Amino acid sequence: MCTQKPPHDYSQQLYDKYRESFEDYITSTVLPSLREKHDEFMLKELVKRWGNHKVMVRWLSRFFYYLDRYFIARRSLPPLNEVGLTCFRELVYQELKVKVRDAVISLIDQEREGEQIDRALLKNILDIFVEIGMGQMDYYENDFEAALLKDSAAYYSRKASSWILDDSCPDYMLKAEECLKREKDRVAHYLHSSSESKLLEKVQHELLSVYASQLLEKEHSGCHALLRDDKVGDLSRMFRLFSKIPKGLDPVANIFKQHVTAEGTALVKQAEEAASSKKGDKKDVVGLQEQVFVRKVIELHDKYVAYVNDCFQNHTLFHKALKEAFEVFCNKGVGGSSSAELLATFCDNILKKGGSEKLSDEAIEETLEKVVKLLAYISDKDLFAEFYRKKLARRLLFDKSANDDHERSILTKLKQQCGGQFTSKMEGMVTDLTLAKENQTSFEEYLSNNTNANPGIDLTVTVLTTGFWPSYKSFDLNLPAEMVKCVEVFREFYQTKTKHRKLTWIYSLGTCNIIGKFEPKTMELIVTTYQASALLLFNSSDRLSYSEIMTQLNLTDDDVVRLLHSLSCAKYKILNKEPNTKTIAPTDHFEFNSKFTDKMRRIKIPLPPVDEKKKVIEDVDKDRRYAIDASIVRIMKSRKVLGHQQLVMECVEQLGRMFKPDFKAIKKRIEDLITRDYLERDKDNPNLFRYLA
Amino acid sequence: MNKLGRSNRDKVQQFMAITGASEKVALQALKASDWHLEGAFDVFYSQPHIRTYTDTRHLEELYHRYKDSYADMILVDGITLLCNDLQVDPQDIVMLVLSWHMKAATMCEFSKQEFISGLQALGIDTLEKFRERIQYMRSELKDDQKFREIYNFAFGWAKEKGQKSLALDTAIGMWQLLFAENQWPLVDHWCQFLQARHNKAISRDTWSQLLEFARTVDPTLSNYDAEGAWPYLIDEFVEYLNENNIVQKSHMDDPAR
Repeated sequence: MCTQKPPHDYSQQLYDKYRESFEDYITSTVLPSLREKHDEFMLKELVKRWGNHKVMVRWLSRFFYYLDRYFIARRSLPPLNEVGLTCFRELVYQELKVKVRDAVISLIDQEREGEQIDRALLKNILDIFVEIGMGQMDYYENDFEAALLKDSAAYYSRKASSWILDDSCPDYMLKAEECLKREKDRVAHYLHSSSESKLLEKVQHELLSVYASQLLEKEHSGCHALLRDDKVGDLSRMFRLFSKIPKGLDPVANIFKQHVTAEGTALVKQAEEAASSKKGDKKDVVGLQEQVFVRKVIELHDKYVAYVNDCFQNHTLFHKALKEAFEVFCNKGVGGSSSAELLATFCDNILKKGGSEKLSDEAIEETLEKVVKLLAYISDKDLFAEFYRKKLARRLLFDKSANDDHERSILTKLKQQCGGQFTSKMEGMVTDLTLAKENQTSFEEYLSNNTNANPGIDLTVTVLTTGFWPSYKSFDLNLPAEMVKCVEVFREFYQTKTKHRKLTWIYSLGTCNIIGKFEPKTMELIVTTYQASALLLFNSSDRLSYSEIMTQLNLTDDDVVRLLHSLSCAKYKILNKEPNTKTIAPTDHFEFNSKFTDKMRRIKIPLPPVDEKKKVIEDVDKDRRYAIDASIVRIMKSRKVLGHQQLVMECVEQLGRMFKPDFKAIKKRIEDLITRDYLERDKDNPNLFRYLA
Repeated sequence: MNKLGRSNRDKVQQFMAITGASEKVALQALKASDWHLEGAFDVFYSQPHIRTYTDTRHLEELYHRYKDSYADMILVDGITLLCNDLQVDPQDIVMLVLSWHMKAATMCEFSKQEFISGLQALGIDTLEKFRERIQYMRSELKDDQKFREIYNFAFGWAKEKGQKSLALDTAIGMWQLLFAENQWPLVDHWCQFLQARHNKAISRDTWSQLLEFARTVDPTLSNYDAEGAWPYLIDEFVEYLNENNIVQKSHMDDPAR
């Protein structure tokens, strides 16, 4: 019928007839049967009819395959199977689509309420929506999906509005999570996969976005409360849920930050109260309370870092929130000591002998690691460095360091975190001691080789490189004759080693072992050089007045008072004081206490160190001024011309690694540089500066 | 010249043709007389813009009248005598203007060079001419640009030789003097503030920036920019004014800052 030439070519008629037959069949049989049924029955019928239809189309297309190959191609007509499907679509689908859709949606809602429904049926129905598009998803999306989304939104909106009133935050979240799970499940079972993201988004919006702030701020069960009560599981759920909605995590991170800040600030306050109830004379010393404070801050940090890593899945927003929170309270001092000082003292306690001997090496390493991490939050890092350096000097010089490895280890950690410049001096100090030991060995060799150069006393000298160590004032102490010889001998020795270096003797740091011939028994006293010099005065006089001692020693009042106090009013009374009061007065007189004794043969008489706090702060301020100057000059040298605001900004950025410069300080330095002719103001714009070469 | 209207340009041309003066001078004279040619002529001829001929012999005589007996310069006694002759108080600000013309290095002394070149610039070679010019010198203080130059000159002139900064007392005296001519309502507060809080010498930068401050920031401080590059001392002054409620604080909350 088709291969003959026209007018005997019946292709067109065949083609038309093909369609007609479908149309007839549908109109006569399919439609009526569908029209008389409803709801689920209708759906079942539809599935059956559609199935039949597909089979018919397949077979009939095969019969008339010839048309497909030649006729259709030539005339650019739709292929046979498409014709067949289109018939169904135009006649059945278009008429019933709304009914079908509503039926499906109502079944879905029933399932949501907990009823069992025929999932396979729904899958088949929805397949129709998809297949009817013949490659396009338009029909599915427009005729079904849109309505589904609208209905789902309405459904969950209703549910949410009642849950939010009745349920606590954790319960609500549980329900929300469950709903999302179920919807996902739904998609997997019978909805088309393309609906998943759209559906979930709608549900999330209705359940979470709309009520986000109400949920988080629920008084007894909201985010704050969960944090307070350490409800880790609920917080994890909160994170999971809120990370799905746009900007959902911002408020959570904010509440987290507020909470951590509040906790930290409470610790500060606690420590502050404990510190202010200290006794008056101990106010400047960093005491036990402050150490406890640092430990608590470390614990707080550990706790919340764990939170960020576990509940909040290492999200950057929460790392940032944690950092900002710690920066707020870590920069608050306690009891008159800055946080930098507290941290340095804490390290000192760990590293010195008798500090933390109960802890294992591992535990110490861990603690040091954590301390270094806390340092990142402190803005006055240079202040910490200076305090640390001072205390390191004491530990090294008075042999109070517990473990050399730990000392080096913390320096490595500090170097990693803050850069080489931060630790270069300290490393120099540690190296100096090693060199000093070698030096001492050569000194002893020298002595054994030159018997006439015998100082008469066992002498150990530690030579320090000036730049590395903190600056010490050296007073012209009048040494006892015996010690003068020692100094001479060493000086000669040192000349043999290097000709170009100058030795400055710091007697305030020396120690001395003296044999005291007391009546009960002879004892060995370990004292500082100052104390030794004072005691040796009594070899030639039995009784000395305060002013005599001072004149003979050539020291300041402060030093004399301190050292006499340690020898006559403290635990061991080597000297008798007249009058026998608890404090030193310039009118006092002193006598050698021949009756002194102790059960030990060897005792150490400590001389409490001068409080270095003020000096450290002064030194750091001075260094900062130089640093700001250098930074301004550096910036201006490269930029040549720069506005005031920008100069200040760049300066702050450059110096930020070590400290936070004060705007006023920067302004003052700029003015100073103008006076020193490094910079000038622009003639026309006083807000602009020029570099003067 | 290009910014002027047609008629004004014509006036300038005319002025220059008649008086033989330079364009700059013509502009000045016309501006001072509000663009009336007749008035401009008056202004011009009563002021020695052009270098009138000065007799060097007379100048030498004048110099010798005031010169110190031992040093080849005019010192305090000479200056007192000069002021007497001119019927002017030695503390009168006009002496500052005179020093400025002479480019005097330091106050209370004039070198021969400074004296003679200064008088030449002013077209003075006799005492009568000198007395006449006094009025003119006073009027120069009213000119903004000249006042600024005189003000900035005053710093170097008033400070001790060899010092970089100006002693506070001297500075305060100078400020009182200068701002009597060119009113600044906050000058007294400024001086009080310095005596109470600062008590140190004044740097050149602070000195010159103060004039800018007085000129640009209004007495209620409404347009003061705290983030600006004002010298530290001026920032402190503003704080002082606020603390003592001399200025209404509400202006400080201006969001336009």
